[in-house]
Amino acid sequence: MKKDLFAVLILVYLELSMRAGTSPVCPSGQAGCHVPSLADLFNRVIQQSSRVHGISSDLHSEFEQYFFPSKNFLGKRKCHTYGIMTPADKENAQRLGRDQLTEVILRLLGAWEDPLSQLYRSMSQDQNQDFNHYSSNKALEISDMVHELRDGVAKMAEKMKLLGVLGNYVGYTIPETLPPSSAFYFYEKGEVTSMDHHVLLYCFRRDSNKVKNYLRILKCTTLPALDC
Amino acid sequence: MRRDLRLVLLLLLSAALESHSMSPPGKPVLLGCRSPEKETFTCWWEPGPDGGLPTTHRLYYERERLEGIHECPDYQSAGKNSCFFDKNHTSIWVDYFLTVVAFNDLANATSDPLKIDVMEIVKPDPPENVTLLVKDMEDSPHLHVGWQRPQNTDTESGWVTIKYKLRVKQENNKKWKEYMSGTQTHFSLYSVSPGVEYTVQVRCRLDHGFWSEWSNTSYVKIPDYLQDQRPFGILVSTLCVITFIATMCILVMKRKYLKKCFLPPVPGPKITGVDFTLLKSGPTEDVINALNQNFPLMVAWKDQMEDYLIVTENDIGLEPHPFISQKRKNSSTFSSFGFCFHPEIQSQDSRPSLNEQEEAGKRKHEIQHFVKSNKSLSGTSLSNVEKTQQCSHKQQGTIINFGITEATQQSRSHHDNTVEPLTDSGYVDIQRHEENTEEVDVKTLQYSRVKEMNSDNTLILEKENVSRPGYTDVQRQENTEGYSRVKEVEGDSMIIVQKQILSSDTYYKENGNNSTDCDLQMPRGLTGFSKVGVCAELDSGYVDTTPVTHLM
Repeated sequence: MKKDLFAVLILVYLELSMRAGTSPVCPSGQAGCHVPSLADLFNRVIQQSSRVHGISSDLHSEFEQYFFPSKNFLGKRKCHTYGIMTPADKENAQRLGRDQLTEVILRLLGAWEDPLSQLYRSMSQDQNQDFNHYSSNKALEISDMVHELRDGVAKMAEKMKLLGVLGNYVGYTIPETLPPSSAFYFYEKGEVTSMDHHVLLYCFRRDSNKVKNYLRILKCTTLPALDC
Repeated sequence: MRRDLRLVLLLLLSAALESHSMSPPGKPVLLGCRSPEKETFTCWWEPGPDGGLPTTHRLYYERERLEGIHECPDYQSAGKNSCFFDKNHTSIWVDYFLTVVAFNDLANATSDPLKIDVMEIVKPDPPENVTLLVKDMEDSPHLHVGWQRPQNTDTESGWVTIKYKLRVKQENNKKWKEYMSGTQTHFSLYSVSPGVEYTVQVRCRLDHGFWSEWSNTSYVKIPDYLQDQRPFGILVSTLCVITFIATMCILVMKRKYLKKCFLPPVPGPKITGVDFTLLKSGPTEDVINALNQNFPLMVAWKDQMEDYLIVTENDIGLEPHPFISQKRKNSSTFSSFGFCFHPEIQSQDSRPSLNEQEEAGKRKHEIQHFVKSNKSLSGTSLSNVEKTQQCSHKQQGTIINFGITEATQQSRSHHDNTVEPLTDSGYVDIQRHEENTEEVDVKTLQYSRVKEMNSDNTLILEKENVSRPGYTDVQRQENTEGYSRVKEVEGDSMIIVQKQILSSDTYYKENGNNSTDCDLQMPRGLTGFSKVGVCAELDSGYVDTTPVTHLM
């Protein structure tokens, strides 16, 4: 009996100690705690955003093939993040500055957490189609990844604030123009159809690309390194 | 005639009309758009049939977050039937709705709209300045491919990330082999064969956009390195072969020596002092003597037990000593022997004297032999004591009384036993006598009492303590070969005789009721030993040398 207890305790301890896929950031830089550098944070965040964009692109193209073979689908619809002013080219992005760029990134990511989870829910509820059943898992995956990405960017912003690279008021502005359920309200009043899914995916693909690009610019502006 | 003229005129008119027909222009087709660096983009269209009139094409677009319809800013930069949007007019992540309108004097034709997002149409230019270098490191050549990024891409600001891919082909092979290079602008190929020409091409893409076209082909030929090394290799290999052949020849020639060296013969077993080659012809006397060399040991052991025979001159005859007889009755392990000793008993010490006596033959000796026997026999009774034989005087009339002393563990008992006079041979071996074995224990063995002595110098022994029934009659004993050694002579008439292991003929274990005739004969002229003829029953020929109670 005692041996079993001992073994169980050891296993639990190992499990807990090895649980973290990513090493947690130390709150106050304690000794022995591995504190990732800003470059590390940037790399992780950029990789995550790249992954997010990749999955969203795949999902959108699959959706288009399955439902709307016509490539010239002209939907004069607007994305729910229409209200967020984002730089549309390189010069504008560079002109924006680090603070605002970071702000934009955080806003974008914040604006998508809810809609993605709603998308997942509505897709999984639609049991008529196999596609939805298959894609709902991806939607869930994306939703989780976006959440992680947002946390990562926030931590990175904190780090930058500590280093004095970023202003202290970044990230505190509340996106007032976007009530929580605004996404579907914006798109459709009533039932959410697959059209809405398609639009949502289209919009998200674009926004994830924006985030990825902005992060890269931020990185190369803040840390001019070899791969910039 | 007029009809023909009219026909001709009509025909001419129609021809003229056809050649100069004007129709609305055909509908142009927008082929697509492309952005090489994600900062500008170009669109191309295919004009339809122009309808005979000069037609112009114009491109109009609408854009998300931009009001109004706008026209292409640049029709020339990108060539004919194209529209180039410069940086000022390019916005990423917004939708463009493009249409091309063909105009001529009659009408216009509008193409189908095309929606694009610059993010989706990125296709870079191919990499530039692809260089091939053959690098020789530690005699293993490898190919180093280097290139440059397309000029118009901006990676410094992080606006785009370029990834490269190259493909390699050998001159005689048609299959390309592709390698991913990531973001590096160089690549090393290690699996190159000397003397082969290689073709290399590189291409790239931005983020997740389209791959560019392949770069211009570059050729390189790897120089042949092995030419310098070939003679050396040949030399080394021939040396090795020669050495190997020489070694094999030596081994073959010296195989016997090697066999001796590595596989030495195993020596056989050997016994010191005995040569087995001699034994092949059969056992000889020497061998037997050698084998019998153990006997002295036994004798030495037996020396501890000295049998003393009390030999007394007896004119009267033997009378059983009452003491002895009593004793014999009572003792369980008792063996009594009776002997008639011939005065010719000689000892080693006093050889000559005895001989003289023997020769004289008229002496009367009183020899007392103390027979001491360590009891190992069990249940022997000497009832035979009572049945002492009369030791008849023979030649010299000397009667020697043998008194058998039985030695218990600690005590001695002297028993006199009258025995018949012995012949000259003083045998230790005792022959069993049936008559005397009233109370003889079965287990007693190998004891014989000298019964009487013949004039022929034979000793008749009677067996005593023989418990076996069926003892044979006294038999004449003529010849014996048994020996008893006189240990020492004490006094006038005492001879201490040693027991000896007789030869194989003398001692026999009595097991059965066999009776044999024993002829004991005293060889004359014996020196050194006194011989007592003993006739023992022959059994299976087993010589029992157990020193239980041996008589001499």
